[in-house]
Amino acid sequence: MDAAVVLALRNVTKAFSGLKVVTDVSFDVREGQRTALIGPNGAGKTTVFNLISGAYSADRGAILLQGTDIAAKRPGERTVMGLARSFQNIRLMPHLSVVENVMVGQHARTRGMMDLLTPLWLKRNRAWRDEAESQLRAFGLGTYPNEVTANLPYGIRKKIEVVRALMSHPKVLLLDEPAAGLNTRETGDLKDFLMGVAEHGVTLLIVEHDMSLVRSLCEHTIVLNFGLKIYDGPTASVQEDPAVLEAYLGPRHNAA
Amino acid sequence: MILVLQQVINGVMLGAVYVTVALAFNLTIGILNFLNFTIPPLFMLTAMVAWASAQYGLPFGLSSPLNWAAALGDGIAVAIAASLVVERMTFRYMKARYGDATEHAIPLVSSLGFLLIIENLVRMAYGTEPHRFTTPFTNMNLRFGGLIVSIPQLFSLVLALAIVFGLSRLLKYTRIGRALRSIAENPDASLLMGVDVGRIVPVVFVLSGLLCGVAGAIFAINYGQVYAGMGNEVGNKAIAGMVLGGLGSIWGAIVGGVIVGVVETLSIHLFGGDTVQAIVWGLLLVALIVRPQGIFGHHAIGKGKL
Repeated sequence: MDAAVVLALRNVTKAFSGLKVVTDVSFDVREGQRTALIGPNGAGKTTVFNLISGAYSADRGAILLQGTDIAAKRPGERTVMGLARSFQNIRLMPHLSVVENVMVGQHARTRGMMDLLTPLWLKRNRAWRDEAESQLRAFGLGTYPNEVTANLPYGIRKKIEVVRALMSHPKVLLLDEPAAGLNTRETGDLKDFLMGVAEHGVTLLIVEHDMSLVRSLCEHTIVLNFGLKIYDGPTASVQEDPAVLEAYLGPRHNAA
Repeated sequence: MILVLQQVINGVMLGAVYVTVALAFNLTIGILNFLNFTIPPLFMLTAMVAWASAQYGLPFGLSSPLNWAAALGDGIAVAIAASLVVERMTFRYMKARYGDATEHAIPLVSSLGFLLIIENLVRMAYGTEPHRFTTPFTNMNLRFGGLIVSIPQLFSLVLALAIVFGLSRLLKYTRIGRALRSIAENPDASLLMGVDVGRIVPVVFVLSGLLCGVAGAIFAINYGQVYAGMGNEVGNKAIAGMVLGGLGSIWGAIVGGVIVGVVETLSIHLFGGDTVQAIVWGLLLVALIVRPQGIFGHHAIGKGKL
């Protein structure tokens, strides 16, 4: 009955100079689902993201993208295979225009030197630009394609980063704290925006501290604490789980 | 007055050489944050190979002596090939072995090694004395009032403008140009976005080899003589021009290179040849105190690079 598993971690472990940051973590992300990865500070969420996207390589374990183990692939190869991510701190190219930033995301689909050297005014390359502009319009960002991103507000840059990630046509999109630094109105706006992204058939895996965003956006939640998975189930019941409560609020005798 | 104007014209022509070499420096430093010291010897190598091909023909008796244009083409091709070897042996090899994205001292030092090796190999093969390189229009001039513009100067200027224009179009309007600019601003994010960094970095070296080659060709056409020490002389001034104009900026390299060229010819004219180095570098130091980022200073130079 369940949708197919599109991304799976199997016993993934990572230590930094002897300190285990992620221990034996396994979970499934199902196609079309919006999954949140939460946990107290230092729980290993961002490390898990970096292991999935390839910024770090896992000490042990397998990372399966549509059934293929990508744990040994280089980050760019993972992008080509259908994995995209945004960053906790915005990593747009500040002095490239909005549309150029988005077009950088298309490089995962570019092959060969001829593709790279074709001038933009030729029809074949015009199509790349048109695609980037129409994606921006589809997500309500079509008003300033030629503006340099350094000049734009934070909330808008966050969205541009997501649109850029979408240009590689990912199966799974990893979002690292998309609501960090946004006010309540911007967060609500972002939620609608991400709902729209999910409706395009992209599976979302989100690290987020803002529980209101997690509750309204994600149907499934995974909780990490000290590098261990302590909860994996529906978002609706995460706050009744004793282990999760203990991780966030401390042992019962402390909380009482 | 007319003499000063004539010196300005000569300075602009000399500046064209500096501009082209400065752009080669600028490209590797702007995109890879790598101060590539093999650029001056590649410039010299182009001119020396061109002279040797025009004098003796291709090596191993493959051809009779080439005409001037084919000889320059040969020189440029050798510069590009040598630039790719440098990429393999300095930048990529050192990077792959010693990894870290901010470690630039190792490629820098190994490129210094290449500078000395290439220059001394050329000295061993062809000696240190200047050699004549002639074109059919070596001694032709145009006169405007009292001003003289030689045809080689004009030809060189056109060549320099064409290569600068072509480079700026390539950077702005092709997918590879955008990839290069995105690597310059954020190599890690570019890599994660699927930009094929491993394939694009050699392109930087092809382009800087081409720029060195064109600069060497301009020099040979313009001055009619080439020598093993020419790389040092021009390389220093090109770096001065690049820094003056602002690292990482095409316009900066153009304006800075021309300023250095004009200051050089004017100071020779007004104060004599011995004063050139002191005046050019003194001017640079003063300019840097006033405006440390250079005239068209770029934002991202020196931050986390590939």
